[in-house]
Amino acid sequence: MNGQIQEAGHVFQIRWIPKYTFVERLLHWVNTAIFIPLVVTGLVLYLDALKPLAQGDAGQWMRLVHRLVAILFIAVPVIYGILQPRRLWMHLKEFAFEKEDLGWLKNAFGYYVWGKHDAMPPQGRFNTGEKINAVVMIISWILFVVSGLIMWYGKGIVSAELFRWMVVLHDLTMILAVCMLIVHLFLAVAHPLMWAALVSMRFGVTSATYAAEHHAKWYYGPKRAMELYEAKKKNQRHSA
Amino acid sequence: MTNTWVDLKNADVILVDGSNCAENHPASMTWINKAKDERGAKLIVVDPRFTRTASQADLFVAIRSGTDIPFFGGMMKYLIDNQLIQKEYVLHYTNAANLIDPGFKGPANLDGLFSGFVDDDGDGFGKYDQGTWKYQTDPQGNPLRDETLKNPQCVFQILRRHYARYTLKTVSDITGCPQDKLEAAYKLYATTGARNKSGTILYAMGQTQHTVGSQNVRCMAMIQLLLGNVGLPGGGVNALRGESNVQGSTDQGVLAHLVPGYIGIPRAGDHPTLAAYNEKETPKTSYWSNKPKFFVSLLKAWWGDHATAENQFAYDYLPKVESPAKHYWMALFEDMYAGKIQGLWAMGQNPAVSGPNARLEREALKKLKWMVVQELFDTETCSFWRAPGVKPADVKTEVFILPAADAMEKEGSIVTSGRLIQWRTKVADPPGIALPDHQILNLIALKLKALYAAAPGPFADPIVHLNWDYGKELSVEKVAQELNGYATAVIKDPQGNILANKGDLFKTFAMLQADGSTACGCWIYGGYFAPADDGAGKIMPASKRRGQKDPGGLGLYPFWGFAWPANRRIIYNRASADPNGKPWSEDKKLIWWDEAQKKWTGYDIPDFVPTRAPSDPGGKDPFIMRVDGRGGLFASLSDGPLPEHYEPVETPVTKNPFSSRLHNPAIQVWKTDQGKSIGDNLGKTDKFPIVATTYRVCEHWQAGGMSRWLGWLTECHPQMFVEMSKELAAEKGIRNGDRVKVSSARGEITMAAVVTGRFKPFKMENKTIHQIGMPWHFGWGGLATGDVANDLTPHVGDANTTIPEYKAFLVDIKKA
Amino acid sequence: MARKAMLIDESKCTACRGCQVACKQWNELTGWEYSKTVNTGSYENPPNLTPQTWTRIRFNEYESRQGFRWLFLKEGCMHCGEAACADVCPTKALKKQADGRVTVEPDLCNGCGYCSQFCPFGIPRLEMAGGVIMSKAKASKCTFCQDRTDNGLSPSCVKTCPAQALFWGDRGQMIAAGKKRVETLKTRGFTEANLYGEAAVGGLGRLYVLIEKPETYGLPADPQYPAVAMMWQNIVQPLGKIAIGGTVLGTFLAWLIIRRNIKMEEVE
Repeated sequence: MNGQIQEAGHVFQIRWIPKYTFVERLLHWVNTAIFIPLVVTGLVLYLDALKPLAQGDAGQWMRLVHRLVAILFIAVPVIYGILQPRRLWMHLKEFAFEKEDLGWLKNAFGYYVWGKHDAMPPQGRFNTGEKINAVVMIISWILFVVSGLIMWYGKGIVSAELFRWMVVLHDLTMILAVCMLIVHLFLAVAHPLMWAALVSMRFGVTSATYAAEHHAKWYYGPKRAMELYEAKKKNQRHSA
Repeated sequence: MTNTWVDLKNADVILVDGSNCAENHPASMTWINKAKDERGAKLIVVDPRFTRTASQADLFVAIRSGTDIPFFGGMMKYLIDNQLIQKEYVLHYTNAANLIDPGFKGPANLDGLFSGFVDDDGDGFGKYDQGTWKYQTDPQGNPLRDETLKNPQCVFQILRRHYARYTLKTVSDITGCPQDKLEAAYKLYATTGARNKSGTILYAMGQTQHTVGSQNVRCMAMIQLLLGNVGLPGGGVNALRGESNVQGSTDQGVLAHLVPGYIGIPRAGDHPTLAAYNEKETPKTSYWSNKPKFFVSLLKAWWGDHATAENQFAYDYLPKVESPAKHYWMALFEDMYAGKIQGLWAMGQNPAVSGPNARLEREALKKLKWMVVQELFDTETCSFWRAPGVKPADVKTEVFILPAADAMEKEGSIVTSGRLIQWRTKVADPPGIALPDHQILNLIALKLKALYAAAPGPFADPIVHLNWDYGKELSVEKVAQELNGYATAVIKDPQGNILANKGDLFKTFAMLQADGSTACGCWIYGGYFAPADDGAGKIMPASKRRGQKDPGGLGLYPFWGFAWPANRRIIYNRASADPNGKPWSEDKKLIWWDEAQKKWTGYDIPDFVPTRAPSDPGGKDPFIMRVDGRGGLFASLSDGPLPEHYEPVETPVTKNPFSSRLHNPAIQVWKTDQGKSIGDNLGKTDKFPIVATTYRVCEHWQAGGMSRWLGWLTECHPQMFVEMSKELAAEKGIRNGDRVKVSSARGEITMAAVVTGRFKPFKMENKTIHQIGMPWHFGWGGLATGDVANDLTPHVGDANTTIPEYKAFLVDIKKA
Repeated sequence: MARKAMLIDESKCTACRGCQVACKQWNELTGWEYSKTVNTGSYENPPNLTPQTWTRIRFNEYESRQGFRWLFLKEGCMHCGEAACADVCPTKALKKQADGRVTVEPDLCNGCGYCSQFCPFGIPRLEMAGGVIMSKAKASKCTFCQDRTDNGLSPSCVKTCPAQALFWGDRGQMIAAGKKRVETLKTRGFTEANLYGEAAVGGLGRLYVLIEKPETYGLPADPQYPAVAMMWQNIVQPLGKIAIGGTVLGTFLAWLIIRRNIKMEEVE
């Protein structure tokens, strides 16, 4: 990398613009700090290799930690919702899907795996993939909380059959959330195209050129972004 | 029992009346089930309530508490009318053919009384002069008999006339049991009259704890005689004893009128000397004619070398009771209540809970100067002086509590209902300073002897001279040897052969003599601790044996333990063979006459002179303890020679259908403090219309001293409760689980209501009678607490034994 | 190894509760000090199985066509042939032994409670300590006295029963004896007599001779291994592992491709 920059010879300057507020970032990292222990303490019941940690006193500790952290898992979004209901609602609206999101879906594989930039339609502050991530996280949260609360308090109150379904649901939700998390981690940490994402979630700012490329609808506004996109596509057709 | 527990498996019909054996003797079900499974036996359960035993019954018959005599009387009428008796047995082995004094009259003629009734104070209760209740005899004193059983004065005809009033209709009405049910029970039980069938009757407190208790038992004995069931395998009259060693305690004479071995205690005035006692108390015939041998051997055991022919074997050392002996339980407490008794020594007894009219009895305890309680736990008797509502400062009694060891924490023998003595070893040490009862008594006796030796006073000889050499740490084996009986000197036969050396243990009570050469603490135990073979060649004291051989496969196990008398397992077993000595049937063979060897032989020890042939005098008389050797269909008790129905003292019925006499005229009725809050108050049906009974549950033990302190048992039955029918509950607006108050003329208690289909109202012709029942295990101590059921029961009891009428009294019930 | 089973002959049981107490004595369980039972109008106590009550007698009054009946049922772990509790137990604290007993190793149990909810009979109980948030829990149930039966003895209840209504031995023999008893009962007029547990849920280790239909005793007529358990253990969990593993693998493979296709220098 070093060598390449020197060879290229131009000054590599980044213009930083704000993307995520302090609260948004705080929520993200708090959620991370909560979710990882939950997954780990839950996984001991799931993976045979971890069985010794699930048994006896170790297992009782795992259960205890899982429940204590689960309280935070439930409480944090709920408290945020109580303290900042309007902001929460705005966030939720940002994650809503539109017709245009189909475009991302059509082009995702080509874009993320083969690097085909130009076909990807303009994205908002959260691209469709990030919306999917958020929606999966939110739905998982709901399913985890409902199934988890029933598993915790429901013995003898709900029917055994409902309890059994909740256990399965907790498992299914976990599988979904963990798969999502694996992809999320990969994109956040290892994918070249997404390089600014982690920076922005840590420091709240993103590169302008990155934003113009990846979040054009947010950077330029929806109309202008669309115009640029159409123009790009026309050029491509002309050149081809 | 005349038979044994295991012998139940040999019965063809098992009749359970006044017992809840599945509840209180759970192991009995093993043998009852064997009878059902292996020989198709049927179980009949007669009880006011559908019990855990009834759940196993082929036929359940519900009768109102206190109507057993009508039930049995009706059965006797049925057997006689339908010719279902075992004719040959009845003729030869009972006194059916004996002629009765023409002066004898019965309730059918005397409107509820027998001839000879004397009522001094005109209160309806009195005594019988039994002068006319006797046989007609020839000049030699032998009873006159009519072997055709047709003479109007023969016992059989008197019996027939006596029970002619006990028609199905009348019995049905007074018991509240439908006629068809009664008839089904009679018909089924009558099948045991066949020569190749036998039936057993099991009973317990449900029969005895009535003012007619003894007559209830008489009914069962009479029916078993009529059907030829006594002395046979699978037959007999079988009392299921209510405590694991109450059989042992009655064997040892722990009753107001006995010394060990069911010998009457001498009475002041009646028996001034030993000779007078022997003369008066010894019958000329029957095995009891040997009584002087037993009695003298007893005195010899107690006073050893100080009992000699010169001093009437220390007869004067033995305390005498009043005549008649009367200090049974209730009399004791009445005297206590009147302040006449200084001290009480209660050993493993909880009268504060188990005594009738318990409020009065607890008041009586307060009148004592001192009380000693030997107990495992801090029972209600230990703590009566600080019971709820009692201020300790108000009670002047000095109470000593001696912690005692429980059964597993000491060695010794226990006697089952079947007279089987089994030696048991100690398996655990008692906690803290607790000691076995025998060691407590040992220390007390040694101390008393020392104190009296030092300061004799006017007459210390009976104590100072007491033969008490069991060691500082009492050796139970030494006591056992004394009870077994031993030679005090060399004993020779007329030819000069040595039969026993000094100190030898006897193998049988037949060795006992009245001349001081033998000592025996309890003649019926003769042989129980003597060396015996266990059937596999090992020699040990008989009651320690655990031999598994069972000749004949009847479950007699003659090499296991020792059954008194003389290891006879089924007593009166001569009656299992016909008058010629041949078993009544191959199926029921037990012992038989071996003509070649000229002796009785078989699967059991003959309860008979072994060499007495059937053709010899007395060779056909199986009932060796009775003066005429025959079973008594007609047999005198203080309230009559034949059972007659009387209602319980507290009865919901105003008319006795069999006569105009409502209550047993020969009972004692206490009248202390009548009308006061605590007193001998009796209730009437206008205020107390409901019949109540008391009983036990499997999970608790007697007055609760052994079970209410244990968490596992308490958990099963944690609280006092009362059971009642759904109909009664609906009438009173009581729901299952509600708290209710039950009251009698003597008290009021509160408990949980168990509303159940197991009690059903008794329908008489003119009215419906409700019955309820409750366990009597509870008191204020321990983990499982509750009010005391016996606060409700009355101070009245059986005419002969004075056992209290716990089983039928009147109450009212309401929501708490 | 031959499968062992317990035969409970409810035609002989007299509900003495000897078994209930013998179980507590052998397994050192507590009684009233723990449960503080009260009389709510029945002989039945405790009112349910508990972590300290592994077997219990149920009392049921029933008017049959042949008359009044007082039915008794000794309830406890059925030791199912297909034991859902052992299948879902994440720590192997509940284990199905070769001879069919479902034993419990409390040291391994982490108190998750799945066993208690997946059991078709609702048997395992959780011993709770420490309150609802901090709680430590241990599963407990009848183990057929595993320390006794491991050593060739019969369970404590079987040894105690004074009515000889309990039997322990080879399952084949227990079934044969049970069937014979049912036939005998039928000849005595018990038309509804039946043997419960021969085939259900893989065949129960606790077999009953009943004198009325199972429903009359409060037993499920047709108990089933919970389908959810089957789906969860045999489908969801394995597929889930494949999904997660696949995602990891797929992501890794994708990364290998991506790094060839997309160069950092060309990225905006």
